[in-house]
Amino acid sequence: MEYAVETFSLTKIFSDWWGRRKIYAVDDLNLKINSNEVFGLLGPNGSGKTTTIKMLLGLLHPTKGKSLCLGADATDPKISARIGFLPEESYLYRYLNARETLDFYGRLFRLERRVRKTRIEALLDMVGLKAVANRPVGTFSKGMARRIGLAQALINDPDLLILDEPTTGLDPIGTRQIKDLIIKLAQRGKTVLLCSHLLADVEDVCDRIAILYGGKIQAKGRVAELLQQTNKRQITTDAISDEAIEKITQIVHRENADCQVTSPMEKLETFFINTVATAQQHSKQTSGAVSTTKIGDFLAADTIAENILDKLVSTPPAQQRLAEPPKTEPIKTTGTPDRDADKQLLSELTEPAKSPQNIEADGAIGTNQVETDVPHPKDQVKEDVLEQLRDRPKPQNAQPVQNDDTEAGESGDA
Amino acid sequence: MRSIWAVAANTIRQAVRMKVALIFVLLLLILLPTMALNATGDNTLKGRLQTFVSYGLSLTSLLLCLLTLIVAVYTITSDIERRQIYTVITKPIRRWQFLLGKLLGVLSLSLALLVIFAGLIYTIVIYAPHYLNPTPIELIEADNEFYTARKALSPPEPDVSKEVAEARERLVKSGDIGQIYAGMSSREIDQQLTNLRKVARRTADVGHQLLWEFENVRPRDPNGSLFIQCKFYVSVTPPDSEVYSQWLFGDYRAYKYATPAGGRLLPIRRKDPIKTIREIEVPAKLVADDGYFAVAFLNDPLNDTPIIFQDDIKLLYKADTFTANFIRATLIILCRLVFLACLGIFTGTFLSFPVAILFCIVIFFTATVSGFVIESFDYLSSETTIAVYSYTIKLLVGLLPQFDKHSPLNYLVPAELLSWSVVGRVVLYIVCIKSLLLLILGLIVFSFRELARIIV
Repeated sequence: MEYAVETFSLTKIFSDWWGRRKIYAVDDLNLKINSNEVFGLLGPNGSGKTTTIKMLLGLLHPTKGKSLCLGADATDPKISARIGFLPEESYLYRYLNARETLDFYGRLFRLERRVRKTRIEALLDMVGLKAVANRPVGTFSKGMARRIGLAQALINDPDLLILDEPTTGLDPIGTRQIKDLIIKLAQRGKTVLLCSHLLADVEDVCDRIAILYGGKIQAKGRVAELLQQTNKRQITTDAISDEAIEKITQIVHRENADCQVTSPMEKLETFFINTVATAQQHSKQTSGAVSTTKIGDFLAADTIAENILDKLVSTPPAQQRLAEPPKTEPIKTTGTPDRDADKQLLSELTEPAKSPQNIEADGAIGTNQVETDVPHPKDQVKEDVLEQLRDRPKPQNAQPVQNDDTEAGESGDA
Repeated sequence: MRSIWAVAANTIRQAVRMKVALIFVLLLLILLPTMALNATGDNTLKGRLQTFVSYGLSLTSLLLCLLTLIVAVYTITSDIERRQIYTVITKPIRRWQFLLGKLLGVLSLSLALLVIFAGLIYTIVIYAPHYLNPTPIELIEADNEFYTARKALSPPEPDVSKEVAEARERLVKSGDIGQIYAGMSSREIDQQLTNLRKVARRTADVGHQLLWEFENVRPRDPNGSLFIQCKFYVSVTPPDSEVYSQWLFGDYRAYKYATPAGGRLLPIRRKDPIKTIREIEVPAKLVADDGYFAVAFLNDPLNDTPIIFQDDIKLLYKADTFTANFIRATLIILCRLVFLACLGIFTGTFLSFPVAILFCIVIFFTATVSGFVIESFDYLSSETTIAVYSYTIKLLVGLLPQFDKHSPLNYLVPAELLSWSVVGRVVLYIVCIKSLLLLILGLIVFSFRELARIIV
């Protein structure tokens, strides 16, 4: 099996001015990232994450060893055409506006003018910067620059996406969207290498992780395997009666085990997103200009963008993906307001698991509640989506039908 | 190729939007018309035009050279320092393509500005007679001596080596080199003797004659004019600072070889001020069919002094139009810009902006005076110093292009023909050899260097 990224004894030693070897930034690193995997490279500051990425991309020369991306050298144009890269900060040309920036990168990928135009608009929509697309990116805040950086990395619909600290400078909503995006890309068969020290991000989206310290891998494996406490079990239920709890406690005691009953805390992230979504709902008219308030539309637009990208890729893999839309659908349909929370929970539990750790992760964040708690903004979102779908020629036929058909969210963020 | 263009277009945008170019453009837009109005020269139309072209074109050239350097260095170093290169070079573009794109962008910008400003100067020059209201005489003078491209023929350097050798032998035999040559190296004495003998050949005593013969004289218009340019020096200044002269122009072979060549000869008598450049106009019909033309000068017996043609005479005739000459002059400036763009790109690949720009400007100014620098080595006295210098600094300076050697002003101001062969030579040396070398060096450095800053 071909790995998406493979390194062989990759070593980088920084020497001082006299050529004396000073720092082992990366030390004998052997990394194998499977295709169609979200891989998290974790580590504290200065642990060699960024250096590794730069060596993968040919920005730094390894002192020893070598690395392969998609089976070859990443500096080969044939390979780099299939890679998307977001550096640790969005280094943009300050004098270009958002649209020109994306156009420039699109040209570097030798995309046709028509393709470029469609993708740029879709991406701008997706990152919520359409309203400020004609402003020089030099005037952008860090978060906005980050969004453009992300759009830039996606313009070629990459097979391998390398993200270095993608969520720095982003607000929680933006962070959440990037995470959703990563998961979606993985579902479409892409490989993502995520490099971060923000553990929550990594935990939510990664299939496998490696923890780097001092340029060496200290631990690696599946997130589920590394984190699962096999000596404990957790049961989450709806708000059931005290009697029922009593009964369950008795059953547990019969097993000679200890049992604690609490109401689960909502995650701060979830709470934050809900609060903003509500506020946004109230000030819909005035908020059109500011990018962050367009976030509501973003997720939906995001999917459209994806589908457009899909169609644009007129290669055989596109046909394979025809089977996938039901998988990507849930992100939109989770907004369906009329279904009640019980059903969602149920469906979540019964969802055919992609991999065991996904359930673990989903359960941990409880993202289903996010959608169900505030149905109205999502409703609005859905209508926007439909409108946009009508405007777009290609996905027109397929999408609305799927919207109606799918049952309430298979999983919140799967 | 498309990605090269993408980088090039981005570079142009950068230069335009970062307002680097804007300042230079504004300066030129203000200064050129101001100059056109204020240039006076010697108050004739020709003088004003010469002054304007001289200052206007050298200012345009200087500013565009600086602009090209700054943009070339800035565009590379800022991409590396601001790290935009991370996202660019990881796209499907080879490093050499990136560098070529940058070069192409810088050059397109410089070329566009050069065309605009050369065009502006040209327009001002061509329309000058309309708003300056010159007298008809001034207009004719300007037509003959400015709005044209005249080929300048100089008589061959006289061969005086034999006389010099004799003179030296006499010195050696006498065993006393005398006061003049005391303390000089033998090389310097030779130089001195050669100069003296050459001047002697160009000196006419009262009643004596000098003869210059030219081959291959082909005026563009056989019914036009020839111009003999000369400057009279005297050993005793006449009271009115003017000298009489008798000239014969045309096919002198009839006299010289006593053959009936059927040629025509035109005698002219003149009185001219000394120590100023004079031009004598004669009909081009005097040129023999085989391109032979002779000038004979007789020191008029009315004079009381030998007359010395220290700078020798020049034969000028219209060989091309002013427009063609102006275009070729612009091409020479373009060659400079190409070299400087390559220099900027090359230094930008491994130096930071301030260091690179300083280095480039030093190189630029050295190249501007390199002809002078190289010549000055010939006047060094000590022979060991000469040896040391000619193998070190002279060699280094020789590597640089010599901007002053083929300055377009040397041709446009005296309306001399700037021939395609000269342009071709400049293109060959400056663009094809020196610029290309720099570019290749830059490509090599850029291909192998690490582009990311080291962060641990």
